[in-house]
Amino acid sequence: MIPAAFKYLRPRTVDEALSLLAQHGEDAKLLSGGQSLIPAMKLRLARPATIIDIGRIADLNYVREQPDHLALGAMTTHYAIESSALLAQRCPLLTELAPQIGDVQIRNRGTIGGSLAHADPAADWPAAILALDATLEIVGPNGSRLVPASEFFIDLFQTALQPNEILREIRVPATSQAVAYVKTAQRASGFAIAGVAVALDGAEAPRVGITGVAAKPFRAAAVESGLSGGLTKPRLIAAAHHAADGIDPLNDIHASAEFRAHLARVNTQRALENALARMTD
Amino acid sequence: MNIHGTYLVSAPPTRVYEGLIDPRVLERVIPGCERLELTGPDQYNAHLKIGLAALKGSYVGKVHLSDKLPDKQFTLHMDGKGAPGFVKGTAHLNFDEQGSATRITLRAQVQVGGLIAAVGSRVIEAVAKKLTEEFFQNFGKIIAGSPKSSA
Repeated sequence: MIPAAFKYLRPRTVDEALSLLAQHGEDAKLLSGGQSLIPAMKLRLARPATIIDIGRIADLNYVREQPDHLALGAMTTHYAIESSALLAQRCPLLTELAPQIGDVQIRNRGTIGGSLAHADPAADWPAAILALDATLEIVGPNGSRLVPASEFFIDLFQTALQPNEILREIRVPATSQAVAYVKTAQRASGFAIAGVAVALDGAEAPRVGITGVAAKPFRAAAVESGLSGGLTKPRLIAAAHHAADGIDPLNDIHASAEFRAHLARVNTQRALENALARMTD
Repeated sequence: MNIHGTYLVSAPPTRVYEGLIDPRVLERVIPGCERLELTGPDQYNAHLKIGLAALKGSYVGKVHLSDKLPDKQFTLHMDGKGAPGFVKGTAHLNFDEQGSATRITLRAQVQVGGLIAAVGSRVIEAVAKKLTEEFFQNFGKIIAGSPKSSA
């Protein structure tokens, strides 16, 4: 099908985009890479009256090193992240995850900001954002605010973004190479049935972010506390058993709740083992 | 799919029962309900606009109530159609007194078909659970806030 008729607006600045959002309210949708929105519009499952395309706003597509973090503009494509030498060296979890998203065509258009704002429960980026304890910069009519990843994902397709706000930047810490992302993908779509991101950083406590398993992505707190005594192989295996503790796994034709919980545990163990193997002390 | 849940509402079973079979209350608590029109005894057409985030769809659902045991239980049947697909279901509700509150036990079987089922099957059950939660949250707020309704 083709989308239902809509009005198309293309602001040149973030401020212009914000004022258009304020003007059009609930009937407007922001368009970034369009890899989730446009298919929904073509199926007419989404019928926004107005599309605000932020793709031509200058300076939203970048990867920059700052004194205490790395900053990614919200419109940075998955492919730009995948091919970033800076990130491969300083935040390799992102460069390991990026090529596992969808396919090349999707990665050329899809953006990290769009993916996070859409908050599909089976998207890949949320797992890494949680495992990195990233910070998200959100701009709105009252200025900008910083939201930690742990407070960004609220519920199914629901984030801390208000309807009149725009996600502008994602800030991630520099990490060692002791990271990993292991995903079991649904074959046709590439969506995660269970995707586990792990960041083991020497001095800090290990962090585990899981996507595809529950209605929203989550930090596997029970796994993390199981590792607090040290990163030995037996501890890893024991801790991974708790990957699905305290959550309600999704149940659908691709995987039952029990199978998702099982995959969460298996992929957590694999991700932990991979990350540990990459640790150089 | 099956949806099971228990919900505690701070009102006695009489008020809870009366509230849930009252179309004026239902119109306010059914998520996305724009209009509920009476078409016969315990029969309604519900005009709904439901979905999540950008993915909203319009449906018209035929609702009817059966097996009514005042203050104890009733069954709700729904048959909804819209451009995005269809939703058919049966929900059994039981009410148990718990002090000055009521524990509502819900057991529902729901079938979803058409476009949303084909492309959205990944999240249908999660959406259904979320909408059910929303329904009971809305209901809890209304019952807590309103004076005793007249029979």
